[in-house]
Amino acid sequence: MQLLINIVVLASIYALIACGYVLIYRVSRVLNLAHGELMMFGAYLVLACSSLFAGHPVMALCAAVILSLVTGALVYIFLMRKMTGEMVLAAILTTVALGILVRGVVVLVWSSQQQYPAQALGISNPTFTLPGDGHISLWSLVLVLTNLAAYGALFGFLRFGRWGMRMRAAGQNPLLAAQRGINLHGVYALAWSLSTLTGALAGILMALDSGVTGSMPVIALKAFPAALVGGLDSLGGALIGALIVAGAEVLLIYYVDPLLSDVVPFLVLVAMLFVRPWGLFGTREELDRV
Amino acid sequence: MFRPTPRASGYFRTDYAQDLALLQTRAERIGLAALVAILVTLPFVATPFLLDLACQVFLASIGALSLMLLTGYAGQISLGHAGLIAAGAFTTGILTREIHAPFWVTLPASALTGVVLGLVFGLPSLRLRGLYLAVSTLALHFIVIYLGGEYETKRGFSTGILIEKPSLGGFKLTDGRAWYFVLLIFAAATLLICINLLRSRSGRAWRAIHARETVAEALGISISGYKLLAFVISSAMTSVAGCLFAYYRGFVSIEAFDLFLSIQYVAMIIIGGMGSLLGALLGAAFVTVFPYAIEALLKLLPNVQKLAGDIFAVNYASFGVVMILFLILEPLGLVGIWRRLQNYFLLWPFKYKPLAGTRK
Amino acid sequence: MNAPLLQVEQIEVVYKRVITAVQGVTLAVPQGQIVALLGTNGAGKSTTLRAISGFLGLDDAVVTEGSITFDGAALQNRPPHEIAGRGVVLVPEREKVFPNLTVAENLAAPVARGTKARDRRPHEEHIYHFFPRLAELRDRTGGLLSGGERQMLAIASALMCRPKLLLIDELSLGLAPVVVGDLVRRLCAIRDELGIAILLVEQSAAVALEIADYAYVMENGRIVLDGDRQRLKGHKDVQEFYLGKGSAEDGARRSYRDIKQYRRSRRWYG
Repeated sequence: MQLLINIVVLASIYALIACGYVLIYRVSRVLNLAHGELMMFGAYLVLACSSLFAGHPVMALCAAVILSLVTGALVYIFLMRKMTGEMVLAAILTTVALGILVRGVVVLVWSSQQQYPAQALGISNPTFTLPGDGHISLWSLVLVLTNLAAYGALFGFLRFGRWGMRMRAAGQNPLLAAQRGINLHGVYALAWSLSTLTGALAGILMALDSGVTGSMPVIALKAFPAALVGGLDSLGGALIGALIVAGAEVLLIYYVDPLLSDVVPFLVLVAMLFVRPWGLFGTREELDRV
Repeated sequence: MFRPTPRASGYFRTDYAQDLALLQTRAERIGLAALVAILVTLPFVATPFLLDLACQVFLASIGALSLMLLTGYAGQISLGHAGLIAAGAFTTGILTREIHAPFWVTLPASALTGVVLGLVFGLPSLRLRGLYLAVSTLALHFIVIYLGGEYETKRGFSTGILIEKPSLGGFKLTDGRAWYFVLLIFAAATLLICINLLRSRSGRAWRAIHARETVAEALGISISGYKLLAFVISSAMTSVAGCLFAYYRGFVSIEAFDLFLSIQYVAMIIIGGMGSLLGALLGAAFVTVFPYAIEALLKLLPNVQKLAGDIFAVNYASFGVVMILFLILEPLGLVGIWRRLQNYFLLWPFKYKPLAGTRK
Repeated sequence: MNAPLLQVEQIEVVYKRVITAVQGVTLAVPQGQIVALLGTNGAGKSTTLRAISGFLGLDDAVVTEGSITFDGAALQNRPPHEIAGRGVVLVPEREKVFPNLTVAENLAAPVARGTKARDRRPHEEHIYHFFPRLAELRDRTGGLLSGGERQMLAIASALMCRPKLLLIDELSLGLAPVVVGDLVRRLCAIRDELGIAILLVEQSAAVALEIADYAYVMENGRIVLDGDRQRLKGHKDVQEFYLGKGSAEDGARRSYRDIKQYRRSRRWYG
């Protein structure tokens, strides 16, 4: 039972992070390798807001979430906008560079020690016992629920919302989308801010659960295989991919070797790339036109 | 191809031998002679610190050249370069530790590891392209690092493997000056190998694959063969760099080969300038010297005490900024700047003037 | 008559700062008319069209001289979505529909400036009325449509942007004559009912001259001939080179040299 809970919690973490990769990739075909750093930035924003809104934990959390939304849009407007139409490698490397920058800045501002935003906000993290003798902490539970809510909202938005539809359209054929009056920069900025928002949510909830250090981005890197296993442009796939990766990781750690933790997602990734590179539910990349 | 610099008018090649010559004009010959003279005299005037810096630049140059071959010319993106360096270093470390293998055994052995890993890293490239390939190399990087970490913990070298300095024909390599020359020779050899590979059949095939695979295949180029060849050659050279790194440092530990190192190598070829060997060299020098330059700059600032503890973070942040600036403002890298300077002086006193109205 | 809807005045387009693709092109599309732009490959038709629809920036090309005026506003070197918002909408040559969206979604995605949400529905129905076939295929994915259906969907989704001027790149490319005839008739109906002007870029002069009120012939980046339908249809060179009707009086094959001479003489038109 505890194993199952661990899998679900880890899968939720991976899924919530992975949908950020999927959103940006789906809309602009760019892989955001700074996602982990932006996620960590979100967690640190809570820390900053907790001192700003001392005594108002809800206000502080809301402020942090809104700020992360704005951060995503700003990242697009001031950085990634310049990279539209450039080589894919250049765009990816720009995100890498952004990640390095954020990492450095975070350490400079908040130092590299482990910090506990939950304490700063003055909220506790009680543990519940579930039937079947499993334990889950409050914030892990919130994370699982948030994840479900986020996926539900994103699904609805992309499927039925007019802007969601436009995001899908822009992802498939940006030129045509621009020609049909869709403001590409608007759509891309929207994708970046939504992606940063979901990432920051994951970061914030993890930080509330177990604190935050400068090494948090590694988790996002491990969530990347989840996105790829499901198919980089499929939201539902990311959810299932996260379950597969988390399941493999938890079980292998438990039964084989704890050292494997960092490498399991990548083993899954390599296996997937050999068998079905475009993922379980992804669309096959188009072949070259002769 | 190799050197697309404009030449002064009146220079014509009149036979094939001239076409094949590496150095074609007197200016080039004089330039090279001057460079060699400087490089040879440098260790006798430089401080130990500068000597060490030069050695690091040479090591980075080997790695950057091999990555340039793979990414800049053959167009196969790799984010796992640090993994290959680690492989070379660990092969050396393990062999010296376990069977006390001498230098002339570990070096070929590292190269062989590189060849094998190159095949492994290259296999996904037969099916994957672009982004997916980059991701698969990233994954392999983590796997190599994991295997290294396993070895360290299982054998009880949890802090790293110590390696004795190698001896060449009874002459023990401990002196910084000796190392300088050894690494200089290796780097020069790598450069020569790269130049000759690129101006021969394989180089042309790689460039064709880079430009458009389907067309290259239609022209009779074996895609899978040349892709694997690119991976194998590049990883072999990288592993040799790893082997030299292990000996030079006398110490191997997985902490030295994190993802940041891979990124640094990719940054070298981007900052240097894609598709140019000169770019790889310039990039290697730039990225290697960069942290020291930042440190020196920080010392000039008044509030040293406050930032001294976070020098690492300052490095990170400024490196990110520099990379972003290069990507956005100068996609051609240092080589682009170099060429523009060259053009400026070659065309002097005339100026390159863009067409009226084409300025955005 | 007052000023035409679209006026392209002496434009010059330069790619990558060095390659001049189009020079001194002047053309006008009056309100409610169909105008055709003819020419062989590389004549500069597509570049002209891109200049109008704002897609030049992506290819590192710029309109260096001249002006493009639409409805009193300058369009040159503006971004595509803004131009679309003003009412100039392009039906591209290939990749003209969103392949993973259904037909209904393809029609829902376009942005129509100045249209309220509740006006969208009737407009959509109105468009289905032009293409009843699309109404049957509402839930089909765009990528699974046949060439003709795809062209219909492309035109329909372009109409969803409420254009005043429709630019159609290669209407007949890859389509059977029967389908082309059908599309041509529908285009005429759309023009008559919605009062939309259409600029048609075509290689097939036969198709274009069937419906166009006025036509321009381009060659080597310049306009070499223009006139209304009757004039062009009757023009000797057009008949021979674009409509394929041999004009050789004596029936003997003419040599390449003659053609060259003809080409040389024709430079003096535009």
